[in-house]
Amino acid sequence: MARADEVPDGGAKLFRVGRRPVVVVRAGRDLYALHGLCSHQGRPLEGGAVWKGMLECPWHHFQYDLATGENVYPKRVYPLQVQPQLRRQVRSLRTYPVRERDGYIEVGVRPPARTLERRGH
Amino acid sequence: MARVAREMVEKAGINVDELLDKLVRAASAEFTTYYYYTLLRVNAIGLDGEGLKEIIEDARLEDRNHFEALVPRIYELGGAIPRDIREFSDMAACADAYLPADPKDVNQLLNVLVEAERCAIRVYSEICNMTFGKDHRTYELSAAILHEEIEHEAWFSEFLGEGPSGHFRRGAPGESPYVSRFLVVPSGRHA
Repeated sequence: MARADEVPDGGAKLFRVGRRPVVVVRAGRDLYALHGLCSHQGRPLEGGAVWKGMLECPWHHFQYDLATGENVYPKRVYPLQVQPQLRRQVRSLRTYPVRERDGYIEVGVRPPARTLERRGH
Repeated sequence: MARVAREMVEKAGINVDELLDKLVRAASAEFTTYYYYTLLRVNAIGLDGEGLKEIIEDARLEDRNHFEALVPRIYELGGAIPRDIREFSDMAACADAYLPADPKDVNQLLNVLVEAERCAIRVYSEICNMTFGKDHRTYELSAAILHEEIEHEAWFSEFLGEGPSGHFRRGAPGESPYVSRFLVVPSGRHA
């Protein structure tokens, strides 16, 4: 999918896998791949700060656990019981299997289900 | 706009439009925080809430001062805040500090407050890192705001029992000991 040197340590770089935005993050020796758009307002996560196992959205500083994709901030302080509409903003990011091989980064993304075209089929 | 002032920042190697985006988002976060802290303050009631109310007010008015101090710098650099307040509030650099599910639970109030301050610290640390040694005016302003946000975090963190902050609260609400010198409109405090 990409050359390994395109994602430096502490870096978060956005790629397109098919039509799917995927952010690849390197934290020390570990690589992570997550859905590339923040759940808050759908902004790209490229360039977000990487620190202590978390990726921070560069736009509004929402924080996600790199390993699980779960929103850490502000989910822990959002009043979801009384404002359930906020759940959409703190949805977890999908994570993908990722590996580095022969100088390249490979991300496992399941191809989307084929949709029938409206015309002719 | 201060044309040469902007040019000097560009010449130092800063992408001024990127900096302006960060400053406008920071200003938005301060403005929305002022609103949300009003809610938090009025809901800090009862025996536990009464002491908390005072430091919420200190932080609330200082965050409003931060907005006031940022706006002229935005315009000096050739930027602007949006015409539409809804567009402006959606840009806030931090999550909204919503009233918690149980406002009578002081710990819930404190967690909202401390997380808001922590986000602000990250925002201004980023701006300081970007401007250090290159945009001296923005750096000084951001560092001054950062000083106050760090104190706010320390106050709320102390109330949560996370350890001493080493601080004592302000002499008067909205004192802004670090940011007041940047305020275009005097805060009304006597020297």
